Amino acid sequence: MIQARYVDIKRFAVHDGPGIRTTLFLKGCPLNCIWCHNPESRKSTPELAFYRNKCVLCGECARICTCHCLKNGTHELDRSSCTACGKCADSCPVDALELFGKTMTSDEAVSLLLEDELFYSDGGGVTLSGGEPLLQSAFCAEVFRQLKERNIHCAADTCGCVPWKNFEEVLPYTDMFLYDFKCIDPEQHRKLTGVDNKLILENLKKLDSCGKTVEIRMPLVPEHNMSEAYICGAGEFLSSLSCISAVRLLPYHAFARSKFLAIGHADTMPHVDSPSQSDLENAAGILQSYNLKTIVL
Amino acid sequence: MFNTFNQDLPYLWQKFQSPVFDPSTGMDQETAKEKIAEFGTLALPAPVIKAMGFEFLAKNLQIEVDPRDFFPSFGCWSRRPCVMGKLLQVIGKKVETTQWPLACLVNKTGANTIWIDFDHSVPEWNEILKRGFPGLLANALEAKEIHRKNGTLDEKKTAYFDGIEITYRAILWMLERFIERARSRNSERCDFTADALQRLHDGPPQNYFDVLLIIYMYFMFSEIMDHMQVRSLGNLDAMLTPYYDRDLAAGTFTDSQMREMFDYFFMQWGSMNNYWGQPVYLGGTRADGSSAINHLTHLILDEAVKLNLPTPKIQIKIAVNTPDDFIDKVLAMIRDRHQSIVLVGEESLRYMLTSYGATEEDARTAYVSGCYEFGCQGRKHSNITAGGHINLLKPFELIFNGGKDKATGEILGVSVPPLSEIKNFDDFYRLYLAEIDWNIAANFEIVNEYEAFLDQINPSNVFSATIPKSLATGRDAFHNGCDFNNSSMALGGLGSAVDALSVVEELVFKKKEISLEELACALNANWQGYEKLHAKIKNFKRRYGNGIPEVDRLAAMLSRTCANKVNNKPNARGGIWKASAHPAKQFIAQGAKTGATPDGRFAGEEFSKNASPAVGSDISGVTAMIRSFLVLDAASFPGDFPLDVMMHPSSVKGAEGLVAWRKLVRVFFAGNGAAIHFNIFDTEELKDAQKNPDKHKGLQVRVSGWNVHFNKMDKSEQDMYIRRAESIIE
Repeated sequence: MIQARYVDIKRFAVHDGPGIRTTLFLKGCPLNCIWCHNPESRKSTPELAFYRNKCVLCGECARICTCHCLKNGTHELDRSSCTACGKCADSCPVDALELFGKTMTSDEAVSLLLEDELFYSDGGGVTLSGGEPLLQSAFCAEVFRQLKERNIHCAADTCGCVPWKNFEEVLPYTDMFLYDFKCIDPEQHRKLTGVDNKLILENLKKLDSCGKTVEIRMPLVPEHNMSEAYICGAGEFLSSLSCISAVRLLPYHAFARSKFLAIGHADTMPHVDSPSQSDLENAAGILQSYNLKTIVL
Repeated sequence: MFNTFNQDLPYLWQKFQSPVFDPSTGMDQETAKEKIAEFGTLALPAPVIKAMGFEFLAKNLQIEVDPRDFFPSFGCWSRRPCVMGKLLQVIGKKVETTQWPLACLVNKTGANTIWIDFDHSVPEWNEILKRGFPGLLANALEAKEIHRKNGTLDEKKTAYFDGIEITYRAILWMLERFIERARSRNSERCDFTADALQRLHDGPPQNYFDVLLIIYMYFMFSEIMDHMQVRSLGNLDAMLTPYYDRDLAAGTFTDSQMREMFDYFFMQWGSMNNYWGQPVYLGGTRADGSSAINHLTHLILDEAVKLNLPTPKIQIKIAVNTPDDFIDKVLAMIRDRHQSIVLVGEESLRYMLTSYGATEEDARTAYVSGCYEFGCQGRKHSNITAGGHINLLKPFELIFNGGKDKATGEILGVSVPPLSEIKNFDDFYRLYLAEIDWNIAANFEIVNEYEAFLDQINPSNVFSATIPKSLATGRDAFHNGCDFNNSSMALGGLGSAVDALSVVEELVFKKKEISLEELACALNANWQGYEKLHAKIKNFKRRYGNGIPEVDRLAAMLSRTCANKVNNKPNARGGIWKASAHPAKQFIAQGAKTGATPDGRFAGEEFSKNASPAVGSDISGVTAMIRSFLVLDAASFPGDFPLDVMMHPSSVKGAEGLVAWRKLVRVFFAGNGAAIHFNIFDTEELKDAQKNPDKHKGLQVRVSGWNVHFNKMDKSEQDMYIRRAESIIE
C-alpha cells in the first residue's frame, strides 16, 4: 500500500472531466502560480489553517498546544513552532483550525472514491488533482489501477511539470489528462509560476504521441496571460497536437485570497478583476480559429 | 377575443384577490354562509342538509361572467373561512367524540398535529370529462335505481343518492344562471363562454376549451362550494391531448389560441393563491410502455414557466424511458430559477403503491393528491386523508424532562425512568421508540374515532358522483366508497431525530464524552451556560445526509420501525394507514413547540424538512445526501417521502453541469427515490432578494410542498432559507 498526502475530496465534481466525478486533491506542487486557487495544496508537507472568522475563543487549542494562545481577546498562532501535528484541529469544536496534508493509503483512497460508484455509470468517474497529483505518481497509479479493475473512468489533473517517468507510471490506467496551460511564453511563465514551461510543453508533446485524450485547462488572468499574442501562441502550439479534446478557459477569480490568509502564506493573488465575458469570448474566438474546441466556464 | 392576456392580467389578479360583484346578481358570501348554517339544525341526514346548503348557494350566490376573462366568477371566492364551513361545523357537532381531550393534549404540546383533513383526494377526472355534469347526475340516478331494484336502497343510501341528486341539479341550475349572465354582457368572449357553458349544461365537454372550463367549474363546485376533495387538477397533458389534437386538426382553435386559453386557465389558481396550492402531474408512461411526454407536456411546461406562478404546481413524472432532452429542458428551467417544479419517480410510485395492493397500472395512471402525496385513478380509485403528524423530536424533550412537556408542563407519553437507569444506547432507543409508540397509538385513537363519521362530518356529494365504485356501493366516496380508503400519517423531523440519536449513541454511550444528566441540564437550559458543549455538538459530523453507513443504518432502522407501526393498520373506513415522511409545514410549527434536542437544535427551531437532512447537517455534497436518502425503503413510505436539495448554481453550470445533474436524477429514481425538489441558490442572490425584493419579484422557493415567492415570506422564513443556502457545498 502506498501513502499520499491529500488536502480535500470533492464529490459531484462536474467540471473535472466527463460525468459525475469525485475529485481527490493531493498535496504538493512544483509551481507557485501567483493566482493559485488552492494555495493549501502547494507545499508537500502538512500545514495548519486558521479561520479567524470561525474562532469562538474557547481556548481548547491553547490547552493542547503552546502554539496557540488567547491574548487581549484574540487568538494568536505561533506558526514558527507549529509542527502541524493536527491535534489542535481535532480539538477545535467549531472547525476554526484545519490540517491540510493528512495521509491516506491507496486502499483508503479507493474505498473513499468508490463511495460514489453509483453515480459514475455512463461516463463519470474519478479525478486526481492537487496540487500536482503526479508528484505522488506511485500512489496515483495504484489508485487508478484498482479503479480500472472496476471499469471506472480515471482522469489526472496535472500542471505537467513533473519528470516524464511519473507520467509513464500512470499512463496504463489513465483515460484522460486535464492539462494546465498557463502561458506559451517561457519567461512570462516563469514570472507567473516560478518555472519556465519547457518541461510542461515537452511532456504534453509526449502525451500526444501516446494517443491519450487531453483537455487543456487555461486559466485566464487579465493583465498577466491574456494578451492576444499569448493566446495566439497557445492556439498555434495546441493545434499542432492531435490529442486535444477541448480547451477549457478558466476565468480568474480572487475567491482563494482568504485561503492564503488562513494558511499564513503571503497573498500573491493579482488585484485584477475577473475577465469580462467579451474578453473570454475573444480568447475563445482566437482559439477556435485554430480549430480548437473551446469551453468557457 | 385573443391576444388579450397581458391587458387582462390586472383583472385576473384582482378576480380572486379583491373581487367585485354586481349586487343585483345575488347574495354575498358572508350572508349566504350564515343563511345555509341555519340548515344545520334540520332533522335530516347530513348529505341532504349539505346538498340543501349547496343548492341555496347555487341559486343565490353572486356571480359574474366578465369580458376580460374566459372563466366565470363565483361569489364565494374566499377560502378563509370557506362558505360551507359554518354549516359543516353545525353538522359536525352532531357527531359525538370522546378523544377530544387527547387530541387537545397532543396538539397543544406539538407532539402531534391533527386536524380533520378534507383536501388530499382527487375526483375521477376521466369520468368527469367522459360524462360531464348531466352524465354524472344520470350515473347517480341509474345507480340509485339499481339499488332500488336490488332491494339495497336503505335509508343511508337513499340519503347518499338524494344528496348527490340535489347537488347536481343545483349545479345545472347554476350553469343556467352563468349562461344568462354571460348572454347579458353583450361581449363576443362572454358569448363564447356562454356557448361552452351551455354545452357543459347539456353533456360532456366537446372541445379543448370545454375541458379547461369543466376542470375549473368542477373545482369551484367541489373544492370551493362543496368543501374540498379536488386537490389536484389531474394529469393535465394526458387529459388535454386528444382535445387539443382534434381542435387543431379541425381548425377549431390555433396553437396560440389554445396556449392563451391555458394561460387564463392557470391564472385562475394563480389569482386564488391558495398557499398549499393545486398540483398537476405531467409526463410518465403510456399503457403501451412508451413515454407519455408529448407536445402538450411541452406546451403546459412552457406556459407554466412563462407565467411563473407558485400554483398550480408542476410535478413531472420521470420514468426510465423519459427522454434525456426533456429532462435536460426541465432541469435548465429549474436552473433558471423556475424552482417550483418537482420531479417524481414513476418507478418509485409503482414500488410504493404496490406495497399496499395497487397494481402497476394504478401506478402508471396515479395522480398527485397533495404537495407530494399520490393516489389511484382509472380502474381503481382512492381517497386519502392526512390524519396526523408525528413529532419525532418530542420524545427527546420528554425523556430528558421526566416525561413533561417543557412549555406547557403537561405530562404525556410513557412513564420515563430516571436517566441513571438508562445504561446503554439500546435502553435509550427502546425508551425513545416507546414514546413514538404512545404517540402513534394516540393518533390512531383520535383519528379513527372521527374518521368513522367522515360521511357525516363532510358528505362528499360532488366528489362521490365521479367515483363509479361509490355509486355502485352507495357509499360516500370520501368515506368508504373508493377502492382504497386510506389515511396517511406523517413522521416529521426524521433527519433531525437521526442526528439526535447519533449524538446520544456516539458522544454519550460510545465515547462517553458527556453524560445523559449533563445533556439533560444543557437541553433544559436551552444550551445557555453550555455554549462549549453546544459548539461541540453542532460540529458533530456523524449526521444523516453524509452517506455515513453507521448513521444511515440508524436512519433506515428508525424510519422502518416507525413506518411499520403505521403501515397497513386498519383505519376506520375499511382502508389502511400509510406512513409518509412529508409533515407539510409542521417541521416549523412543531419545531416552535419543541424544546432543545441533542442534535444541537435550540428550543423553537425548525426540524429537518420532509425526509431531507437538517439544515447544515449535510456537509459532504449532494451525492452523499442522496446515498443517505436512498437507504430509506420506499415501501416504508407509501404516503410519500420527498427529498429537498439545495445546490449552488456553479455545481450545475454549463452543458456538463446539466448532463451530470440529469445523471444524478436518474440515479435517484433508479434507487426508488420518490420525489426530489431542487432549489438552485447562492447566498448572495437570496440576501439581495431580501434587501431588494422588487429586483427579485419572480424568485420562488418551495416551503415544504408548496411554493411561495421569496419576497412574500416573512423575514424569519427568509433567514431560514438563507441559512440553508449558506450550508451548501459548492
